[in-house]
Amino acid sequence: MPDPMIEHLIEHRIAALFADAGAIGRLHAVDIDTGRQVAVAADEPVAIGSVFKLPLVVALHRLADAGVLDLTEAVTLATGRTSGPTGIGAMRDPVTMSLRDLAHLAVSVSDNAAADAIADRIGLPAVAETLARLGLAGTAVTQLCRDIAERTLADLGTDPAALTDPSALSRLSTLDPGRTNRSTARDCTTLLTAVWRDTAAAPSSCSAVRRLLSLQVWPHRLAAGFPYDDVRVYGKTGTLPTIRNEVGVVEYPDGGRYAVAVFTRSASTALALPRVDAVIGTAARTAVQYLRA
Amino acid sequence: MDLLQHLRYFVTVAEELHFGRAAARLHMAQPPLSQRIQRLERELGTRLFDRTPRRVALTESGRTLLPEARELLSRADRLTELAQRRETPPAVLRGAVPPGVDAAVVAAVLDGFARSRSRTRLRLQEIGNAAQLRGLADGRLDAAVLQLPCDTAALVLGPVLHRPMGVVAADSLLPAGAEVLLSQLNDHDLALFRRATAPARYDEILDTCARHGYHPPTVHQAGSRAFGLGLVMAGTAVTFDVARPQPAGLTWRPLAGQPLAERLAPAWPRTGHHPDVEAFAEAAARALRPAAQPPSRTAPHARPVLDILPMPEDRHA
Repeated sequence: MPDPMIEHLIEHRIAALFADAGAIGRLHAVDIDTGRQVAVAADEPVAIGSVFKLPLVVALHRLADAGVLDLTEAVTLATGRTSGPTGIGAMRDPVTMSLRDLAHLAVSVSDNAAADAIADRIGLPAVAETLARLGLAGTAVTQLCRDIAERTLADLGTDPAALTDPSALSRLSTLDPGRTNRSTARDCTTLLTAVWRDTAAAPSSCSAVRRLLSLQVWPHRLAAGFPYDDVRVYGKTGTLPTIRNEVGVVEYPDGGRYAVAVFTRSASTALALPRVDAVIGTAARTAVQYLRA
Repeated sequence: MDLLQHLRYFVTVAEELHFGRAAARLHMAQPPLSQRIQRLERELGTRLFDRTPRRVALTESGRTLLPEARELLSRADRLTELAQRRETPPAVLRGAVPPGVDAAVVAAVLDGFARSRSRTRLRLQEIGNAAQLRGLADGRLDAAVLQLPCDTAALVLGPVLHRPMGVVAADSLLPAGAEVLLSQLNDHDLALFRRATAPARYDEILDTCARHGYHPPTVHQAGSRAFGLGLVMAGTAVTFDVARPQPAGLTWRPLAGQPLAERLAPAWPRTGHHPDVEAFAEAAARALRPAAQPPSRTAPHARPVLDILPMPEDRHA
């Protein structure tokens, strides 16, 4: 039986870690096998940024399970597609690849062009259907990457300095959970738990999604909190001005596995804030250590 | 039973841990207070306090329920506050400026606002960022001048007021010349505020110092401006401040290239805000006399931090 006082203390400690890094944080961590949990503002709606690519690829796999589409189906991304800093989003020429390889790029390097191509193929109602089936009432995916980019351009204009101007950012609708893709820390760990328990989709599909999350390249957030070669960290990040997120699963060699979702909002508008990136890992480790004690 | 009223009794006793003092704070006698706490304990089916003749302590239930009770009460207060505001059009704007603002600035904010809005009175307070944010969130403040950086979700910000900071040092300490480079301060300790009061601002200042080649051997975290200035007077440290008169024996010099600035922004709630917030923002902006931001700022390099947005370079392409 978890002691409410100790649980309260650990949640207080995690909130203090976020504050010390100059950020506000929401966290939910849950032991996938026992259901023990740590929650810090875990039910507050948050703007999720690229974390929406996780429910997107889960929805894609559920459609494949239902026989609606074939994951090896080839899709051509012409020029003029969604742009972004990585993957096909940063490339110049037409690309043809399978839906499952698009899913790989959308998760492993957060490729915007790949994610939008998948969303164009399956439609946002299919994502909503997946969210409803999995009981994620606090989650909504209403915008593609190109919608978010367009909205940002409309709200901020073309001056790159606006990306770090606090006054301009206070007008940015894509930072407002009420007006962009949103979720809660608890909803995200619920989704990850379903992927790890093979209930989010067919077992082979859940396994494929787990593989994608294990191939994500960014080491600076969740993974930075677990500098142990025998501990596996799976994750999907999300980033917007002042917003740094990551949701994922941490697996220990003794079989312990923990779904963790961390959402932060920094006080500073600077783009390079390694302390806030790192506190995502530190807060997650503090929660997981408590769950393992 | 009036649950909210009983929760108020509970929170007050929990804060005082003494029935006599709590009763005095609530302007009531001790016996009825004790009876009401017992009533609440019966209603909730759990003991909130352990009482011995010599001390009162929260039980584990009491400790668990205390934050919940506070949350409920603050929401109830906000409800009443919002209802009252809808009922009577406000003739008062409740504004705030950060501590340490000069007297002349305070006077100029009040004067500027009175000139532009003769029918609304500005009630101005001097409070720190954290209290300002709480006040804006729970409706006790209509507008505030926030010290950046700070978390401003759910707020609208007026233009950022950029006030360049210079270095303050004992008269004999600074190298000759009109402006000082941060790297020229290298042998001197630095006096700053306590990091815990504003970690993001503290880190931003030290990161900027490092970026420009100033690595203070020791950073003294002063609890007050007076203590920090004391260290500076003694020649132990230097500190940073906006251009303003300094105590005798101290010199203020601008920093070359304006690497450091105090940044303030008027702010108000995104929804249901007071009709005169813009007038407050304008009065504050005029009174604080911001300088133009130095033009030579290079565009921020975003790769690969903003994973969902096109790169600024792409936008130029």
